[in-house]
Amino acid sequence: MSRPPVHKTDARDRLRRVLFLVPYAVRHPGIPAKDLARRCGISERELLDDLDFLMEVGCPPFAPDDFLDLYVEGGRVYVALHQSFSRPPRFTESEAAALAAAAQALGGEGKDRVLRALRESVPRDRRQSFDELVGRIYAGSPPAEDSVLGRLQRAIAERRAVRLRYFTASRSAEGERTVHPWTLAQRFGHWYLYGHDLTRDKALAFRIDRIRECAITDVRFDPPPEAELAAAHLFSRGAPIRIRLGRRAAAWALARPGQLQVVKRTRRGDALVEVEAASEDWATRYALSFGGDAEVVSPPAARRHFSEAVRRALARYR
Amino acid sequence: MQKAQRLLDLAAFLLRAAEPLSWREIQEQFPDDYAATSGEAAIRKFERDKAELLDLGIPVRYLAGDEDLPAGYVIDKDEFYLPDLRLPPEDLALLYLAGSAALAQGIFPYARDLAHALNKLSFAGRAPGASETAAMASLRLSAGEEPGEGEGEAAEKLERLSRAVAQKKRVHLVYAGAERKDRTERDVDPYGLYQRGGAWFLAGWCHLRRDLRTFHLGRIVSLEVNPAAPRTPDFKLRKDFSLPDLATRETWEYAVHGPMRCRIRLEPPVPPEARGSFGPRARVQEEPGGVATVDLEATNSEALVRHVLSLGDRAEIVAPAALRRRARGILVALARRCA
Repeated sequence: MSRPPVHKTDARDRLRRVLFLVPYAVRHPGIPAKDLARRCGISERELLDDLDFLMEVGCPPFAPDDFLDLYVEGGRVYVALHQSFSRPPRFTESEAAALAAAAQALGGEGKDRVLRALRESVPRDRRQSFDELVGRIYAGSPPAEDSVLGRLQRAIAERRAVRLRYFTASRSAEGERTVHPWTLAQRFGHWYLYGHDLTRDKALAFRIDRIRECAITDVRFDPPPEAELAAAHLFSRGAPIRIRLGRRAAAWALARPGQLQVVKRTRRGDALVEVEAASEDWATRYALSFGGDAEVVSPPAARRHFSEAVRRALARYR
Repeated sequence: MQKAQRLLDLAAFLLRAAEPLSWREIQEQFPDDYAATSGEAAIRKFERDKAELLDLGIPVRYLAGDEDLPAGYVIDKDEFYLPDLRLPPEDLALLYLAGSAALAQGIFPYARDLAHALNKLSFAGRAPGASETAAMASLRLSAGEEPGEGEGEAAEKLERLSRAVAQKKRVHLVYAGAERKDRTERDVDPYGLYQRGGAWFLAGWCHLRRDLRTFHLGRIVSLEVNPAAPRTPDFKLRKDFSLPDLATRETWEYAVHGPMRCRIRLEPPVPPEARGSFGPRARVQEEPGGVATVDLEATNSEALVRHVLSLGDRAEIVAPAALRRRARGILVALARRCA
């Protein structure tokens, strides 16, 4: 079989991938090929190509037993000979620095500990580069106090229920909630706790910067059903909200990718944009942040929410 | 022999060796690669391979011999294998969740490295079961329904800038003005990358303005990284550079006009995120009834008005009067359009 020409960055990517793939297959004997491929972020076809490539890799003097030997049987991957590739190599400084930057932006009581541990896991020769690189990526400020985040992280890792004092924007009031914390996620520039709210008996998202207090309880919960997690969304999915942006607002907003779909753009530069799965509250605040250069247009409920917010805010300035 | 294959063969050879391997032994086993050319060229090729292995996290060392061991090259197994990070479960959860959510954004510096690092994490801790499940969920919940416009292109730009930042290579930018009309070209020493309000910025020394400047990724029309001598840095960072200082600058702290003292009133119950949103330099005082007063200095008052409006009806500008009138004016105009 002829191999397609390998691009330079692809070659490096493949090397990094197989240095993970081999030990992972060693640790999970008989892992389904499709699971291993997904884990490595490639198609099954590409996985088979990688396995072909590995068959030619070995250790001098290249006797039959000196080659790597991974094989697929009944759709499952087995490793007969791993040639010392039984664990992945240490983190490169950019791998560790990317993880460190993400961890610093989320925060939590453990953030200094993880920074130290990541540093230790980089080859000694590269630790200085790691230190320097960490100071040169800033992925955002943590969304809440380290203690609140630390408790949420612990509760997620130990599958324990938490009691929250939470500020609900739609009711402008603080209340107490008991939640089975499933995960933390980031959308529209905010961090959310996603989990099962016991009082309302459904899965909900809680903005982390609206959690005033968090206490871990002794109540353990079972892992969330996989099907429920697979179908989960942070927000209920009503009709998309449409926002009209003036020229300046549009220029600013459209330079921030990832949340807006343009419905229409005029020659002057104004834009009508659509946001999927956002709350009315988010849309209102977002439009107001443009200082009069944006307004929520539809659906009617979202438009009402916006008008009401404008009316109430104006009342403060009488 | 293909290079990728040679690098792995070399790593396997050194990992298996019980003693340091001499240059001659290595040459003997890789005759086509390290013995076919002149001595100098072969050594240079071997040195490049060593550097590439180190880039993959595999350190190859030369040991001077002593009475017990001959001189030669080794991969120290302790220095090669990813160790257990020995982190408590909550810290592992922090790494998993932060990493997954960052990856889901689609645009993050060293995004490919981050994906590799997340994979490797499963070797770096004991029993990460709950955190791995949570990380998968975080990845899905954090990702958009579909990639936004130009996301792939922006991700590619950020990846190239990330490399330039790490290797300290100068970049040549074509940069669009705020309203996309004027374009300028300039050389920039890329110091760092930061995220603010959902967008990524490059901070660096601008050779056109001879000053430290920040560049919005979305306005970088094109960029070229100096291709010469990729392993030799083009510049040193100025000693006074602090990325967090730049990145945490609030929009109303941008230098547009002279300092203006402003006061904002937050009505109870004050949403915690509103109180926290004025940054570390604002003074927040809570009065007995639960009302909070925020005092700060703005050098870009228009941005402050916008921020206060975005907090909804629980926030209002109290002083100065002109700024209060400005906020009112905006709301009156909006109310008319809503009527």
